[in-house]
Amino acid sequence: MPIQAQQRVPPVVDDLDVVGRLRAGDERAFEALIEQLHPTMLAVPRAHVRTRASAEEVVQDAWVAVLKGLDRFEGRSSLKTWIMRIVANIAMTRGVREARSTPFSSLAAEGEEAAVDADRFRGPQDAFTGHWNAYPRDWSTLPEQAPLGRETLRALAHELEALPDAQRTVVALRDVYGCRSEEVCATLEISAANQRVLLHRGRSRLRAALERRFDD
Amino acid sequence: MTESDQHITCQEVVELVTDYLERALDADEASLFEEHLNFCDGCITYVEQMRVTVEAVGQIGETDVPADTREKLLTAFRDWQHA
Repeated sequence: MPIQAQQRVPPVVDDLDVVGRLRAGDERAFEALIEQLHPTMLAVPRAHVRTRASAEEVVQDAWVAVLKGLDRFEGRSSLKTWIMRIVANIAMTRGVREARSTPFSSLAAEGEEAAVDADRFRGPQDAFTGHWNAYPRDWSTLPEQAPLGRETLRALAHELEALPDAQRTVVALRDVYGCRSEEVCATLEISAANQRVLLHRGRSRLRAALERRFDD
Repeated sequence: MTESDQHITCQEVVELVTDYLERALDADEASLFEEHLNFCDGCITYVEQMRVTVEAVGQIGETDVPADTREKLLTAFRDWQHA
């Protein structure tokens, strides 16, 4: 298996066709869109509002705004990105009301953050500076399927919740809900480089959390 | 300078892994990354741990829309149709 991600192919669903069906009152088209996007949309407001209930309200308001604004959709971005931008804007406005207003870009990657603690590597006096003191453990030797077991996944979900807002949002959109990096950048209005840093830090923290769990 | 004069450390690998997986490294950096993996079992394991982490995270999402939410949204859809 190649270790690099395969380039994902954009969905073949014709956005303008979906929009046409919505305008014509096709309830099943709307239901399908809800199934496809609602859980993903819920990952967006959490950086701006305090509670899950508030996030739910933001996304429901966003759906209404999507319907009202449907005539303005011209297909210049994908329907998904257009909808995600609406969620982000409503979340931001709502965040102002809840006095938790932070443009996403100001939550973005700041300072230094090591993926792995420096003391795991050989120090500057060593002939092999920067190399592992002791190799990480091979998880494939753990008791059956431990990384993907139910208890581990539950713990991992808590770790994801505990990530800093910007990291959690990016990791959730990319790795939980399978958004493409361009979709995440457009939704959150961050640069590709910034998105990668946040993804990297979030994933690295989650890996470290799994490692702590398996090494105990 | 020949290729063998350049190398990256394990500590650098763990910071480059996401850029590598995202195909955001330029060709030279990607070669250095891959050359390192050719001789470093520790980093092969590390990259595999990252891959497993991403795979695990992919399985924790709630993908079901609660029935009451769906009903609320469908009502909004009907209201919008008749507005």
